Amino acid sequence: MNARKPATGAYKSNWRYAAVPGIVLVAAGLAEILFRTTHTSRLGSVFLIATLFTSYWLGSGPGYLAAAMGFVIYNIYLVGPRFDLALGATESFIALGSFLAVATLMGSLTGRVRDEAERAKTRASTTQALLDATRDFAASPDEDFIRERLAHHLAAAAKGAAVVREGHSLFTSPLELARLDEPLPLDLASHTVDGEPSVATTYVDQWTLRPLFADGSALGLAAWRPEPGAQLAAEQQTLLEILADAGAAAIARVRLAAAKANAESRVRTEELRNALLSSISHDLRTPLAAIMASASSLEEFGDSFDAATRRDLTATIQEEAERLNAFVANFLNMTKIESGAIVVQRTPFSLREVVDRTIRRQELVHKREVVAVQPRAAFEASGDPVLFEQALSNVVENAIRYSPPGAPVQIACSREEGRAVVRVTDSGGGVPPRELARIFDKFYRSSGVTSAGTGLGLSITRGFMEAMGGEVTAENRTGPGGGLAVTLKLAVAE
Amino acid sequence: MIADTGRLLLVDDEPQILRALTPALTAAGYTVETAATGEEALTCMAGEPCDVVILDLGLPDMDGKDVIQRIREWSEAPIIVLSARDLETEKIAALDLGADDFVNKPVGVGELLARVRATLRGRERRFSSQPSFHFGDLKISFPTRRVEVLGEEVRLTPREYDLLRTLARHAGRVVTHRQVITAVWGPAANVDAQFVRVLVAQLRQKLEAEPSSPKIVLTEPGVGYRLKADDDA
Repeated sequence: MNARKPATGAYKSNWRYAAVPGIVLVAAGLAEILFRTTHTSRLGSVFLIATLFTSYWLGSGPGYLAAAMGFVIYNIYLVGPRFDLALGATESFIALGSFLAVATLMGSLTGRVRDEAERAKTRASTTQALLDATRDFAASPDEDFIRERLAHHLAAAAKGAAVVREGHSLFTSPLELARLDEPLPLDLASHTVDGEPSVATTYVDQWTLRPLFADGSALGLAAWRPEPGAQLAAEQQTLLEILADAGAAAIARVRLAAAKANAESRVRTEELRNALLSSISHDLRTPLAAIMASASSLEEFGDSFDAATRRDLTATIQEEAERLNAFVANFLNMTKIESGAIVVQRTPFSLREVVDRTIRRQELVHKREVVAVQPRAAFEASGDPVLFEQALSNVVENAIRYSPPGAPVQIACSREEGRAVVRVTDSGGGVPPRELARIFDKFYRSSGVTSAGTGLGLSITRGFMEAMGGEVTAENRTGPGGGLAVTLKLAVAE
Repeated sequence: MIADTGRLLLVDDEPQILRALTPALTAAGYTVETAATGEEALTCMAGEPCDVVILDLGLPDMDGKDVIQRIREWSEAPIIVLSARDLETEKIAALDLGADDFVNKPVGVGELLARVRATLRGRERRFSSQPSFHFGDLKISFPTRRVEVLGEEVRLTPREYDLLRTLARHAGRVVTHRQVITAVWGPAANVDAQFVRVLVAQLRQKLEAEPSSPKIVLTEPGVGYRLKADDDA
């Protein structure tokens, strides 16, 4: 538009000057009517008003023209003798002087008003451009998006082209700029002073190069140029620099936010690792501590213990060794699931048999009753019986752990929608709804639960069930007894 | 040697630990009370005071450190921390809160009993007005501030003497860096643990036959120091 501006200006001023004779003629007509009706020849003020309006509407140039034309017509037409240019009269000089004075005064006044309006318009569009840009920058947490939008806004503000560069990424506006033959003066390496990246704005040919800096770190380089042949006005250049700086600040903000998120995720990872370590440390050391205490007690005081105490201590050693073994097995299973080293058989097996066996074993270990609600018709499920038993055992063990002593744990088998379903229901307090989805996560322990347990059991169950093409879900039971219901589903063998 | 008698409170949430330790502690002559939670422990202490408490830090209802704090509000009964946590900061915090000693799980009953004995002896020493300390080659006379090794007087600076006296008052039990700093530089001192190490090194130079392999002032890695006061601890 810079290039088009002079043409528009010329067209406008021609039109403005062409309008002047018309206005003066209208004034002359008005003066003629007044002359005929009032018979007064002191009608200079009519032409004065015409000059005033001309200056106000059309600017000072047409104003002067109107003053001169008005003076001539007034002189010839009204200042006697009529239809004679009487330049000698004092009156005519006073008229001319006042016409010109009014034109000058009005011209400069209206000019100033017009300039002011023009500036206000520029300011408004500058503010709008900045507003649009900052709104764009705030819209995304992505650095590259900000760079791309920055290039767009710079090009719009320069009414030309713009490039934003960071490392090897290049963002241009218009987009095809990079494909044009025009050399882009954007070698960051050349934009250095004594090997240090330059902080100052520099100018190469038509281009203005401004490094993007925020909080003392270099964030790339922005460059812009107007249309070939056009010049950038001082306000435009200022706006462009402010835009570039706003872009830099937005990029810095995005980086800071990313760094913050990163740090937070590191803290979470660290917390998880600590929880894991303390879990392993606790679960390995507790049985070890019991074994060591029992064994050393037997060694030091064995002779003074009665038979029952000795039996109790050896039983402790045995039980705790089994617990250690179970923990190690769980841990190995977890590792197997994670490394994909698990071998899954898919054979038909009797669900009823596996459930019965699991119940017998759990009752033996935990010395409490587990109630089985058997299916009416025994049917076969398709999967790996060994893995399924392990998966089910972990669920039952969990149910026993979270049920009050003596309260029943129920196991029901059924056939639902063509799938073999085993549901284990405990009499515990259930799990807070928002934690339901997480109880199958590794090392997850429900909040407020501090009793023994590795946090591995249910995650192994899920791993095994998924490996067999089955699934496991959990839901809180409503109604009397409450508790948690864990459902294992497998395909039915046909 | 003090007779191994008295009431002993054993606090641990793992029933198998209680079951494994109780017979040996009973056989050693203690009347053993057990508690599985912090609340139970505090209730038990409020009933008939115990002579020594063995406390696991990881309890289901409250942090073991809070139990120590609650007991210390009114009781000076010796507390031995028994914990699977091998986090140094946990131990130090427990000791600074007033625990007397710590034992890491797993532990043999022999070592545990030795620690209990040392703690009880240390208590007696700290609250008695015994004018002197004597163990092995080391002899300290508190009224005259005279320190002898193998009958020969050792000249100590005031700080070295303060350090040795503190260790001797807690003989057989661990003293944290913080406790040393409080005793030697004062409770408000802002002194780095490095200063304690330097001071201990100076003291060892004067007391130990072989300062590089100390036999009198022992290091508890990451926690503090312990003055050797019996042969089994």
